[in-house]
Amino acid sequence: MNAIANQSIAKTGIFLCACGDEIAPRIDLDILKANLAGHADVVETLPNPCLKPGLDRIHDLVEAEGLNRIIVAGCDGRIMLKKFEKSLEPLGLLKGQIDMVNLKNHVAKVSSAGPEAKAAKAEKLIKAAVAEMKVLVPTENQAVEVDGPVALVGNGIGAFPTAQKLAKSGIECILPLDTADVDEIMGGVRSAYPGEYGQYDRMKKMIQDVMASDKVTVKDGLKMKNLLGITGDFTLEMEKEDGELESIEAGLVVAALDAQLLPPGPEFGYDGQSAMILPELDRNMAKTGIPKGEVVFWVSDYAYDTPEFAVLSAKAAWNTAKFIKNASPSTHITIVYHQDMALPLTAMERALARRLNVSWVSYDKAVRPTVQDGFLTFCTTTDHVETELKWDTLVLSPLRSIARETMDAAKNLGVVHDTSAFLGNHHTHVKPEMVGKDETYIVGSAYFPCDLQAVLNTGRKAGSNTYELIERSRHAELFAPRNIAVVDPEKCVGCGQCQEICDCSGIGMTQFPSSGLPRVVDPLLCTGGGTCSATCPYNAITLLNSTTAQREARVGALAQQLDAGEAACFACVWGGLPAADHVHRLNMTYDEGVHILSVPCVGQIDPSVMAKAFLEGAPGLLLMGCSPEQCHHSFGIDHAWSRVQLIKKLFTLCGFDRRRIALAHADLNRPEDFVKTSDAFTKQIREMGPIEMTQVNKDKLQAIYDMCKYNERIRTLLSVSLRRPMDEEYRGDQFHALSFDRDFNQAIEEEFDYPESALAAEDTAATTPAEAVVDEPAETAKSGEVHHA
Amino acid sequence: MIKFKINDIDVEAKQGWTVLETAREYGIDIPTLCHHPAVEPSGACRLCMVEMREGDWSKLVASCIFPVKEGLNIYTETPKVHNVRRWILEMLLASCPASPEIRELAQKHGVLTTRFEIHDPEQKCLICGLCQRACDEVVGASAISIVDRGVHKKVGAPFLQPIDICVSCGSCLTVCPTDAMKDLFDTVRLQPKTSLAQLA
Repeated sequence: MNAIANQSIAKTGIFLCACGDEIAPRIDLDILKANLAGHADVVETLPNPCLKPGLDRIHDLVEAEGLNRIIVAGCDGRIMLKKFEKSLEPLGLLKGQIDMVNLKNHVAKVSSAGPEAKAAKAEKLIKAAVAEMKVLVPTENQAVEVDGPVALVGNGIGAFPTAQKLAKSGIECILPLDTADVDEIMGGVRSAYPGEYGQYDRMKKMIQDVMASDKVTVKDGLKMKNLLGITGDFTLEMEKEDGELESIEAGLVVAALDAQLLPPGPEFGYDGQSAMILPELDRNMAKTGIPKGEVVFWVSDYAYDTPEFAVLSAKAAWNTAKFIKNASPSTHITIVYHQDMALPLTAMERALARRLNVSWVSYDKAVRPTVQDGFLTFCTTTDHVETELKWDTLVLSPLRSIARETMDAAKNLGVVHDTSAFLGNHHTHVKPEMVGKDETYIVGSAYFPCDLQAVLNTGRKAGSNTYELIERSRHAELFAPRNIAVVDPEKCVGCGQCQEICDCSGIGMTQFPSSGLPRVVDPLLCTGGGTCSATCPYNAITLLNSTTAQREARVGALAQQLDAGEAACFACVWGGLPAADHVHRLNMTYDEGVHILSVPCVGQIDPSVMAKAFLEGAPGLLLMGCSPEQCHHSFGIDHAWSRVQLIKKLFTLCGFDRRRIALAHADLNRPEDFVKTSDAFTKQIREMGPIEMTQVNKDKLQAIYDMCKYNERIRTLLSVSLRRPMDEEYRGDQFHALSFDRDFNQAIEEEFDYPESALAAEDTAATTPAEAVVDEPAETAKSGEVHHA
Repeated sequence: MIKFKINDIDVEAKQGWTVLETAREYGIDIPTLCHHPAVEPSGACRLCMVEMREGDWSKLVASCIFPVKEGLNIYTETPKVHNVRRWILEMLLASCPASPEIRELAQKHGVLTTRFEIHDPEQKCLICGLCQRACDEVVGASAISIVDRGVHKKVGAPFLQPIDICVSCGSCLTVCPTDAMKDLFDTVRLQPKTSLAQLA
């Protein structure tokens, strides 16, 4: 970690926003300012810190006092933080060194408490932010070096337009191919993109140009085995036909992958001779000439339950029909299509279809067409009469899917982590700068079925995106995001758990076979989800500028200040936090006992952070994530659930109430749900009261914290239990969820270092639990305590 | 420092501030709707109009985009300003009659009814474009645009189809001055796979 040397000691400035009349009359800012005085180097109230006058004042103070940590206590950090970061960057303050506390929406406008009570709540939140800033180790911006050559792997057609673009820009390309024979490659193009007769000649010329270019190195007869390394420094292990391995060094890798077109099942009358799919028609025409007589194209995609590809097949059928009509005007052609399909023809093309006498006939969707010998039977949409259409050649739509070897290649290249449908479906939309990034890395119809023109376009776009990336790197303008994971090679044992659960394919290996070797994080792929960091059994992964230590400090400082019945709440910026931010819009209020801390994803909250909250005296902890299955980091919310369960198990073991910690979901457009959830939770916590901080309880909480943070066996077990929703099989000896849970419980009991003070206390009062146990109503437990006392 | 006057009070500003920013710094209230500190001002709603006087000549300017200049004479509460503000509020009452925020603001300025024709009594959106600017400038996603022209102008995703470039961050919801985005939001983002609507 390259810390900014002179900034590791915090000099904090707190700027309280009066926000015109939004915050100032609701929160007593004078009291707040006075109470914060000793906790930061500068505390100042500004009418509007976010407007130019306010920003100028912050600038002046940063320069005069040498501040290197800024906390703006105002409104939504989600919206406003970027402005402060942009404004303060010229002064050397980077993302991470500036934070916001949302006084307006989390304190001022959502409860009916008085200005003084609100000032007290604001003070707690700000002091927690100060504590986090104290342990922040700010890092310098990390430049990423990316240069050629660019390897274009996967045998897809998209490799050629990409290579053409790159070669034109003067960037070296390596093109490993199954075969370097142009005609064989064209055969592949024709079967993956049938009917594109207008494009094939151009395509062939392009392939020849690329092969002849001195910037392109073609390597034929190679099969890809492994991809190692990170952006800027990849090693591709390729297998030759004789089984020998060859390594290729590349700066960037573009995956060019095509979908495969397969014939449908026998129920569609497919026989490959007279009833065939489009690519076969093309092959047959090359062998036996243009078909004569009646040719019927049935755009059968609706019958395959893939209506989204109908237009693609219809276009291919239309292009083929034009080609046939051109060569043999006497052939009679009919294209039959589902009534819901929009006809993919322009007015000009409709006129052309009439002139060529190619008829387009839609069929009634209520009755599926039937293939008979020599006839296609269907209902027309106009009169619902069953019509029989005679055919000599019947052409069906192909089934579109991804071949196993293409999927293997995609997995090897790290562009997918599960196997269903097309690669485009696996895109993680996390933050805007990630959107469209995959365009740089995957080209071809395996991403999503498309026509040849679209592949050429995405290929060229990938080429120019790649070139742009390299240019930015050459001009030293390419930096890694501020919040990415880094692996400490000293601590990493190479268990690979992080790689297994990473949703952005950002964690890779440097060597193969990889067991026992440290992993590396690709700075350009990492989305900063951080569940890897919270998972690592050996605490070897740090999320830069947003570390577990920071989170522990923040929640710890907050917990110390919480009164009985109050709770800390981690809210995720994609679900819980915006929901909380919007509560005031409904003129609703919620229990002021909830203290919200923002977190980029609840999946990055280490179990030690949860334990820390209770160790420092929090009566309750609520984790507010996205709606189920809406997690922007794919599985963050599922992982958080597992970690919450660990705390619950430990609480049962120690005799604390399991209900003190809870995971909840919120949709950002349903703030009313946030109110319901947080009110229900705080009500529970208020009924329970605080955990009495006796020595025994303190020791127990310390033991829970130690186990969560340092026990490698439990952390390993927890990490293997992190399941993705599509996982159906349990590993090892556990056959189902219950047996797994029991074994996990047993392991916890074995490993838990029960504090001696607690054992001694139990000997004296053998039957008293430390606190109300799970299902018992609070009252009976209380009376029990009194009775025993 | 640039010295000028707002409502005959001497104020000081730096190069690059706007009249609105200077007024807010001095606690002078100017109503706004389409102004949000997170994005560049655009002067769309015209509610922040103030009067600028030079001798016996005066004109109205939008304070959110008007840069400060030495010796300006700005007035925020003159009959001329009140008049234009009331006109704007009356028009807003007609274009987005369902918005309680607009009604409240209009009431504060003494506008209770509108003489303009109300086309859509359910409308809350004043098409100030703040959501679009936030999506562009803050998020960088450009998932929201102003579609159609003239009287058909409205806010939505391109081609009014839910779109996957929307990252569902809710910035548009946060900046919307009338909460109209709450209803529009689900026409922009792709539908959630699961919903918690059963809690309602």
